[in-house]
Amino acid sequence: MTTKATARSARRRRSRFALGLGIVAVPLVLALLGPLFTGDPGPRSASFTLGGGHWLGTDFVGRDVWRQVLHGGRTVVLTALAATALAYLVALPVGLVSALTHLRRLEDVLMRPLDVLLAVPSLLLILLVASVFAPGAAGLALLVALVNVPDAARIVRAAAGEVAARPAVEALRMQGETWWRIAVGYVGRSSLRTLAADAGIRLTGVLYLVSTAAFLGVGVAPDAADWAVMVDRNRTGLLVQPWAVVVPALLIVALTTGTNLLFDAALEKTPRTKGRRP
Amino acid sequence: MNAGVRVRTGGLRSFVARRLLLGAAQTVAVVLLVFALTEALPGDAAVALAGDQPDPARIAAIREAMDLDRPAYERLADWAAGLTHGDFGTSLASGRPVSGYIADGFGPSLLLASLTLALLVPLGFGLGVLAARHEGRLVDRLVSGVTLAVYAVPEFALGVLLVTVLALKLAWLPPTAVGYGTDLLAHPAALVLPVLVLLSRPVCSLSRLVRAGMVDALASPYAAHARRYGVPGARVRYAHALPNALAPAAQQLARTVDWLLCGVIVVEALFVIPGLGTVLLNAVAERDVPVVQGLAVVFGVLTVVLNLGADVVAYRLTPRAGVAA
Repeated sequence: MTTKATARSARRRRSRFALGLGIVAVPLVLALLGPLFTGDPGPRSASFTLGGGHWLGTDFVGRDVWRQVLHGGRTVVLTALAATALAYLVALPVGLVSALTHLRRLEDVLMRPLDVLLAVPSLLLILLVASVFAPGAAGLALLVALVNVPDAARIVRAAAGEVAARPAVEALRMQGETWWRIAVGYVGRSSLRTLAADAGIRLTGVLYLVSTAAFLGVGVAPDAADWAVMVDRNRTGLLVQPWAVVVPALLIVALTTGTNLLFDAALEKTPRTKGRRP
Repeated sequence: MNAGVRVRTGGLRSFVARRLLLGAAQTVAVVLLVFALTEALPGDAAVALAGDQPDPARIAAIREAMDLDRPAYERLADWAAGLTHGDFGTSLASGRPVSGYIADGFGPSLLLASLTLALLVPLGFGLGVLAARHEGRLVDRLVSGVTLAVYAVPEFALGVLLVTVLALKLAWLPPTAVGYGTDLLAHPAALVLPVLVLLSRPVCSLSRLVRAGMVDALASPYAAHARRYGVPGARVRYAHALPNALAPAAQQLARTVDWLLCGVIVVEALFVIPGLGTVLLNAVAERDVPVVQGLAVVFGVLTVVLNLGADVVAYRLTPRAGVAA
């Protein structure tokens, strides 16, 4: 009975994985390869028209919507990936060091400021900075990474702390292994699964934040070819030309939903590992 | 028994004390961070803020309004002292006091947030309990699948799609709140879509947590033991299993405050509702720094206080779990 149930849940998991992959593939391929398949911008026509040689009509300044769609995914995807990577670049060393150190004070110095930063709502911090500087795509990636560091560092610290308490770490220490080898080779590697799960959740959150910021006009030019900007700017013509809004909105929905489904299915705990505790 | 209770209340008291200390530090940090923003401006803040209209009169006016000629620590002290009795400074764009802006926008935002919270708790718990009761069956897979899918979708994308279908194609609901002013309660139809969009993410996360907590508890030895004693199924579910899901749910509700804030800003922009989010976005667009700072302090302190409350509640529910403080 148990093996049958396990087999069924494994099958369901595989089908959910395939579903997630299928959903995320469309926006991802469009975002990464789209810009390669577009020709010259061509002459502008009237705003918010349908037909007339434009497959999806024209947008608020008379540009071809299909062309904008092909160009508009790259910034969202690349900014989100860069922000996630940057967040971990800071969170990993901070979390690992504070989990492995025996100096309580060092841990406090590293982690307490992050607890304080956790208090500021993420979108608020982004808007706050945007009101003073006008960040570009790189600035937005930095900001989104910054608001993700405290939470990521806490999770790294918790995951690594659990591993660092194992007798194996003590044994490695007594063998005279270097700090680097213990931290990266054992503790880091053992907490990889937890960190991968967190990275998946974080990427989904970062995609949300990046696209929402772009929708509110942070980090993008007002007429940028960006799915979120397209949704915002073409809203005025929703009644006459819905495609200029609906297509980019659907692509963002597919991108975020697909990413979430994919990571959830890929990193779901299998019953085999569930009960294992150090 | 008696000793146990005493230990627990003692633990609670010291936990609350530590948590209050952290909350105070966070409040100070928010105020400092918000203030530091103007200091971070490159070069002359007044010139930078004048932006597109760099005429000397405007620059002088900004410098005058923000007291930029005085040293930073004096301005910080004045500003912080003003904050304690509700004086948030004056707007650069209009010269009106910032507290006036906050008072204007407070009603609609509070209405949106409280309506969402009032619906969130029964909906989230209801869906979670429903899924947990039918674990592994069609209802559970349906609820779990939909909540997982919708959980990640940004409000603006979901919002425009709902507006396109429900408001424009089917014409069931008004597409925006334009023309209704701040008295939204008189036009409940205009509130349906905004609240629906605001609910989308928190309901998903809350119901998933409640489901997970209940499924765990129903599979635990103590639930099996209660069943063996002949305790009715409903009592096992609601009196023994559901409380297990309460602490993570309370924590999640606190994080919802952050989401709700983001959501309110987006939803107000999307449905043209004149609340605090709209005030904030306008101020950001006009680089009206005092208004942005005032709103940021209000939002930040609100988040700190609500998180504090949720942590204390979560600790009270599971004192052994040791919520981070």
